[in-house]
Amino acid sequence: MEIKADGKESSLILLKQGAEATTCALATNYNVSQDFLQGTGRVFESNFVGRRCVVKERFSKKYRHPSLDSKLTLKRLNAEARCMTRARRLGVATPVLYSVDPVLQTLTFEYVEGPAVKDVFLDFGLHGVAEERMDDIAKQIGDAIGKLHDGNLIHGDLTTSNMLIQSGTNQLVLIDFGLSFTSTLHEDKAVDLYVLERALLSMHSSCGNVMDRILAAYRKSSKQWSSTLNKLAQGAALLSYSFSCDKEVESAQWLAKPPSIMCSALR
Amino acid sequence: MKVFEINGHSLCLALFTDVSNSKELLDSMQAGTLEPEVAFLNASLIPDVFPVLAAAHKTLLAKSRESLTTRTLHSELVYNYSGSKHITESLKRCGISDRSTYVLVARFNTSLDEMKDIDKLIHGKEIDLEEMEGRADQAQIHKHYKITGPELGISSLADAITCRIASRDAL
Repeated sequence: MEIKADGKESSLILLKQGAEATTCALATNYNVSQDFLQGTGRVFESNFVGRRCVVKERFSKKYRHPSLDSKLTLKRLNAEARCMTRARRLGVATPVLYSVDPVLQTLTFEYVEGPAVKDVFLDFGLHGVAEERMDDIAKQIGDAIGKLHDGNLIHGDLTTSNMLIQSGTNQLVLIDFGLSFTSTLHEDKAVDLYVLERALLSMHSSCGNVMDRILAAYRKSSKQWSSTLNKLAQGAALLSYSFSCDKEVESAQWLAKPPSIMCSALR
Repeated sequence: MKVFEINGHSLCLALFTDVSNSKELLDSMQAGTLEPEVAFLNASLIPDVFPVLAAAHKTLLAKSRESLTTRTLHSELVYNYSGSKHITESLKRCGISDRSTYVLVARFNTSLDEMKDIDKLIHGKEIDLEEMEGRADQAQIHKHYKITGPELGISSLADAITCRIASRDAL
């Protein structure tokens, strides 16, 4: 792990490097695994006036024209900050945003103590499922996504590594709003859920049917669940048809979705 | 009175209640004759020190880049505490008015002597910073920062304010 020293802040420790941001983890909460690195930046752990914090720095893409690059990165940075505050307003727990620095292109959040849902589920896979805890987590996930979608906010990268369980309160905290956007379309909401479903299937199939429990909680908390879940079912049917028939399906709203989102879930 | 360390600089905060000369303080501050220079914050909008520290961090960052939006470092602190980009409105809301009686005084990189001078300057009673939480005007805070019910369910008031302070310029 490399240690980056910054003149202004105390030394930052590299957590993990992703496509979006490199995240640094000092503790063993986050494993420095090169696998799920997607995103475009670096994440460090640091200290913000006495409190432990996480600093997410977005890379600048060297292949872009510099003026375009800085504009785009800034736009994405601001969008992430805005989406996080919106998510909070809707009642979804996210880390507290401490600072947004447009010059260094960094976001500073509170450090949430606790494992990622991914690690919890992997642990269940190895040592057996604790039903009650699994239920509680699934319920919180469905509840949070329901609130987001009712507020027309799409997370964009719903995977178990972007959900943390805060130790102590056992509350679910959503992170990484770097790919999030606003949309009223039920297709977009359904894709959001589909990405999560694929992620669960690919990594946590040994935990049993978590998605059902998540969708049950989603139905309870979201007021517009029926159209979204209809689209989800439609899309799943389309995709299974297209994969089984090995041919392009025309009404490819589903297949037209950016593959990066699908790929991120299939790690 | 308490001193906080932020990025190598220090910030001294003192909480005063029953302040009777707020009009004079305001006048001398606006005339630029206030010695030593301090920031006066409307303490009923402050439930906790942390949002003030976040605003101070932002202020110091702007100063280090020579990109202050207001005229002085201390007025920038008051401006940054607000959730709104409108400068005059923010200074009016988060700063003191003629009739303010509950004031938080803040000064960057100060010495003990200067703080004693400030003590003499303000005609009020100094109280402990811990009393801030009990004396904050929740209704006013909810109104100013547009804090919703669902949000309070998942976070404290101080965190909600800090979020807004941080993301104000991103909006």
